[in-house]
Amino acid sequence: MSTAERERGGLEPDLSVELGPMRLPHPVLNASGTFDLLEAAARYEGDLVAEFPFAAYVPKTVTLEPREGNPPPRITETPAGMINSVGLQNPGLDAYLPDLARLAALAAPVIVNVGGSRPHDFVAVVERLEEWLEAGRPGERPDVPAYELNVSCPNVATGLAIGADAAATADLVGRVKAVTRRFLMVKLTPNVTSVVEVALAAEAAGADGLSLVNTFKALVLDGETLRPFLGGVTGGLCGPAIKPLALRMVAEVAGAVRVPVVGMGGIVSGRDALEFIACGATAVQVGAANFAGIDAPRRIVAELDNEMRRRGLAGLAAVRGRAALPQRARSGRES
Amino acid sequence: MDADPALNPDHELDHRAVSRDCRIVESRRFGAFSLLSLAAPEIAARAAPGQFVMVGVPGGRFLLRRPLSLHSVAGERVKLLVEARGEGSAVLAAGEVGDTLPLAGPLGSGFRLEGVTAALLVAGGIGAAPLQFVADELVAAEAPVVGAFGFRDAAQARLVGAFEIERLWVASDDGSVGRRGTVVELLDTIDVPDGATVFACGPAAMVAALAPWVAARGLAGYASLEAHMACGTGACHGCVVPTRAGYRRVCADGPVFALDDLETSPGRDPSTTEEAP
Repeated sequence: MSTAERERGGLEPDLSVELGPMRLPHPVLNASGTFDLLEAAARYEGDLVAEFPFAAYVPKTVTLEPREGNPPPRITETPAGMINSVGLQNPGLDAYLPDLARLAALAAPVIVNVGGSRPHDFVAVVERLEEWLEAGRPGERPDVPAYELNVSCPNVATGLAIGADAAATADLVGRVKAVTRRFLMVKLTPNVTSVVEVALAAEAAGADGLSLVNTFKALVLDGETLRPFLGGVTGGLCGPAIKPLALRMVAEVAGAVRVPVVGMGGIVSGRDALEFIACGATAVQVGAANFAGIDAPRRIVAELDNEMRRRGLAGLAAVRGRAALPQRARSGRES
Repeated sequence: MDADPALNPDHELDHRAVSRDCRIVESRRFGAFSLLSLAAPEIAARAAPGQFVMVGVPGGRFLLRRPLSLHSVAGERVKLLVEARGEGSAVLAAGEVGDTLPLAGPLGSGFRLEGVTAALLVAGGIGAAPLQFVADELVAAEAPVVGAFGFRDAAQARLVGAFEIERLWVASDDGSVGRRGTVVELLDTIDVPDGATVFACGPAAMVAALAPWVAARGLAGYASLEAHMACGTGACHGCVVPTRAGYRRVCADGPVFALDDLETSPGRDPSTTEEAP
């Protein structure tokens, strides 16, 4: 079929992507901690489980032990975005597993996001999850083909985020890789001098995929008192304000590694999603946009479809990497 | 799942939320406050007092929706009381008839009104918003209702114009309207119906001062809390408040909490800075 025919709408764009073992109908996933399927399904009319709008579901970060999280206030809007300091509040693995079991009816794959403040905790969580997944009878467990490691939590030993240290990241990936054969993604923090250095270290240690970026460490003041607004003092900035920063980092990493990259950072439209793919991402995650409305994922996928039709694109491979950076710009080091 | 209760009498009334673009059909101004009536038949049919809606701010400048209590419900309309106190809420408060706002709701736990034989409604400032809905339901059930609202000054007290509560007492910090002093000081001067349940909404300091007053009189008391929210549906854990059971989400575990369960402290009120910086 000619380009002209495609532009007339003669071709259904194929939005499907392969992410490791996952063949996904489209490239739009949710970012961890921004969409809770069970909570949303319990509240909104319709059947969000049967008509799940994302290509895969990434639940909120689970840690070995319960975490109370940071004191409020934890969240506020900022220009073109928002800042949060939740502190990975979660009930811990024991209380998490029953909720994970409730996702057995979900047709989409579940990418379990794991956090921790020391490598031992990550390994313990993944080991327990492996046992739990294997112990289930048919229909009792969701399809969990992959993990995503959240390495932005400070390491209890050093006080630094594990993901801010290439060697610590590589060590963690190696240890987790030893206890699972599932697809292992590492969610990279942008709060580093060279995200490429951490990405390469994770890849060399066996990471099967990389997702980026997590939020940017930031500070918001109370406009009246001129003191830090958030109970956790600093927080993570996300939303459209960070999109150009995230695009740059995704392009740098995608240009440097062989494993698939999942891009995120301020995606609120189909065009935004396509830009991340042009920077080399295989798939994308939508985070803060989920807060703008429950309809966000469906709208973004529809917009992506329209963007492809308008350009006469048959598949995402045609644009993937189009915005590849020149070699000298890939190092990630600032000049 | 979306069964019409009229067609299926065994089906419980569906309280689940919808996401809809809703037209403003009436807009009344009371100083810095606007009382917006929106055509929202599904939300109106499902809503309970104390529940809220997440409202998108038109114009594309604001990412997050704003949580607004349902002030009241009339037929197929819901009413929202908006205070222009930040840039986003100023846009909402300027809403005109014919404008459309994205609403998601009803969300959150409501006030439990079953078994309530009399009520004391206590509000500070814009916190009054959900209490008209409570009053409407209880008056319809012929329960006596008394209101006590506290304000900073006469300008803030203008929001009283948005309320129809027969027995309503007012205090102001500067004495410009009603009794001088706080709303909790006001409570000692009014006749509270015997066995009244207390329904409150207002700043953290007010709730903290109210809790011992309610406990000392052996009354049951509930507060609807305000917080900065992102998702409004329990996902982000951004809106937590300290309770005796640890941090709880205002959007999903509340916004209504028993006063007994709250770890109240007259600390900083996050509602005073709606948008930072």
